[in-house]
Amino acid sequence: MPVVELAAVTKAYESKVAVRELSLKIEAGQMFGLLGPNGAGKTSSIRMMLGITMPDSGKVALFDKPFARKSLDHVGYLPEERGLYKKMKVIDQLVFFGELHGMKAQQARQRATAWAERLEIANALELKTQELSKGMQQKIQFISAILHDPGLIVMDEPFSGLDPVNASLLEQTLIELKNKGRAILFSTHRMDQVEKLCDEICLINNGEAVLSGKVREIKSRYERNRVIVEFEGCADFLKSDEIAEANNYADHAEIKLKPHGDAQKLLHEASAMATIYRYEVVEPSLEEIFIQTVGGRANA
Amino acid sequence: MRNILLIAKREYLEQVRGRAFRFSTVLVPLLIVVLMGGNFLMARHADSGKHIAIMATNPCLAGAIRDQLLADKENSLSIDVPGPASQELRAALLDQVRNNSLDGLLTIDSNNASSPRMTYTSLSSGDMDIADQLRNAARTAIARQQLLADGINQAEIDRLYKTISIDTQRIDKQGNVAKGSGLTTMIKIYIMLLLILMPILLHGMDMARAIIEEKSSRIFEVMLSVSSPEETLAGKLLGTGAVGLTQIVIWIAAIVLASSSAAVAAMMGGNFDFHISIAEIVFFVIYFVLGFLFYSAIFSGLGATCETAQDLQMYASLIVLPAWLATFAVMNVVTHPGSPWNVVATLCPITSPFVVVPRLGLEAVPIWQLTSSLLLLILSLWAALWFSSRLYRVGILMYGKRATLPELLRWLRSS
Repeated sequence: MPVVELAAVTKAYESKVAVRELSLKIEAGQMFGLLGPNGAGKTSSIRMMLGITMPDSGKVALFDKPFARKSLDHVGYLPEERGLYKKMKVIDQLVFFGELHGMKAQQARQRATAWAERLEIANALELKTQELSKGMQQKIQFISAILHDPGLIVMDEPFSGLDPVNASLLEQTLIELKNKGRAILFSTHRMDQVEKLCDEICLINNGEAVLSGKVREIKSRYERNRVIVEFEGCADFLKSDEIAEANNYADHAEIKLKPHGDAQKLLHEASAMATIYRYEVVEPSLEEIFIQTVGGRANA
Repeated sequence: MRNILLIAKREYLEQVRGRAFRFSTVLVPLLIVVLMGGNFLMARHADSGKHIAIMATNPCLAGAIRDQLLADKENSLSIDVPGPASQELRAALLDQVRNNSLDGLLTIDSNNASSPRMTYTSLSSGDMDIADQLRNAARTAIARQQLLADGINQAEIDRLYKTISIDTQRIDKQGNVAKGSGLTTMIKIYIMLLLILMPILLHGMDMARAIIEEKSSRIFEVMLSVSSPEETLAGKLLGTGAVGLTQIVIWIAAIVLASSSAAVAAMMGGNFDFHISIAEIVFFVIYFVLGFLFYSAIFSGLGATCETAQDLQMYASLIVLPAWLATFAVMNVVTHPGSPWNVVATLCPITSPFVVVPRLGLEAVPIWQLTSSLLLLILSLWAALWFSSRLYRVGILMYGKRATLPELLRWLRSS
């Protein structure tokens, strides 16, 4: 059963088409990455999913039913920028958003306290939002999005402003939620996180889906033309005819082969000139696929 | 409905707990007291301590005018009647006026006994109050002299000119009579006007400012993912309206307490009878609620179309100006209760919330005017909510630039 489904949705603002005929489906227990350069139509797609705006054409379904506001009680949303009342006490704010999602005040208070303890931010509950650091505010925003235990969690740049320790804490929490069957949608520019966490992605550019599917499948579609070499000795093999581009770092070199470049031939050349400790032909990263697909069309 | 109430509760608590609420709750009545008390005291003691001279060809008349002026206990003028009139004396006294050692000089040429020629010279030609006092005192003094000359004895003349006090009361078409002094009624009218005007303007602006802030901090993104724009707007209007009502309840309680205090009664010379009818209270509440919602709806639409507080300041004057113009309409109600302009101000929804209640305190407003005024206000409120909710729905999601008029029209069409 798809938790959220967009079927050929289109949204135009005045003369600009923000989203054109976009279709995607997210299942329960799936982490989904919605990727694209700035202005590609990610926020417009999310807004339609959440009923903030209505599509000009196409259909939105939540929890296998046509969109209805009532379904939003089971959706949690973390916007890219802080969606918190600055002068309101954190605990009051969490209870308020919990109540708006249909919770009882007492229940919302208990869960907010439990989540705050879990995310190591319990001491912030009695403070006003404006008194918190950016990272702390992000954690509070995160709690606000998951407090009511939603079936669908929509997160726009969830790791923004977090240090590695806290980012890891949030990653673990999201993986747990996913394992409990919650559907999670990411909208982000951080390809390393998408690669690590998401099962499926949809890459949009100029309002249109240009690439979509399971991360593994997408990566397998691309040629394995990258080589990582750890070596000692002469680096002249990096000038080989098989190589399109090479970066020689302190402890290793990253090589991009020419189309139809021969990795075995290169290994042979390299081993003749240097001592090779590691020679690995790797698939392209999502970041490379992103850049390759969007290319010069990205407008930011 | 649950969401509307939750949003209203949040708005209410945040505003009531805020510093702005505490300040405006204390400062507005303080401002009213200072302004009205200041005006009252200035009017009462405008001539206190003034030093004038009366020079007449008939010294008897000059003395009689002085006695007449001094007979008024509330008068604190200091009056000189120097020797017989002469050109030299006049020039010397005028020099004193020019040097400010004398506030004014009254010269009386009484060659024509029945109609003496009087001139008052001071540094200010707008010294109307004192000129009025001198005119009245001279008229009475001349009449007294004439009566004495006609053989009527002094006791009889004093009896004729005994001070008469007059009570004012108002009767409506059903014959009901309401008591009240002119001064108390004036005070009541201005208090009621300010009680309606100030919360509407203060909280309306506050709401527009909060909308801009929420827009820039993207809170709306989260709010709209849980509740519809209409629910959010309705919650805001209800919450802010409740804040205004709370403030009014506090102010009315303060007025009731103050009006029963000995200090206020003493200030008003023991003549403080603050009477307010049930009808006035009912209409006050009705017009406050409708007026508040009407103006708040306009302010919220405005807030949704603005990007910064500066934009808001610029456009808010277009809303605030008609509201302040209503205060002039109320002045007209006070001075000319039956004027056709009052009927226009009563019917016009921009001014009616401020004008009708003061009018009710002064005169019996015809039923057709009240019903038409309410009907027009309700229709205008509906129109304001219609327009504002559409502007709000689109405007709160538009970031980055101020909307132009053609854009606003497109928003209205598209939502």
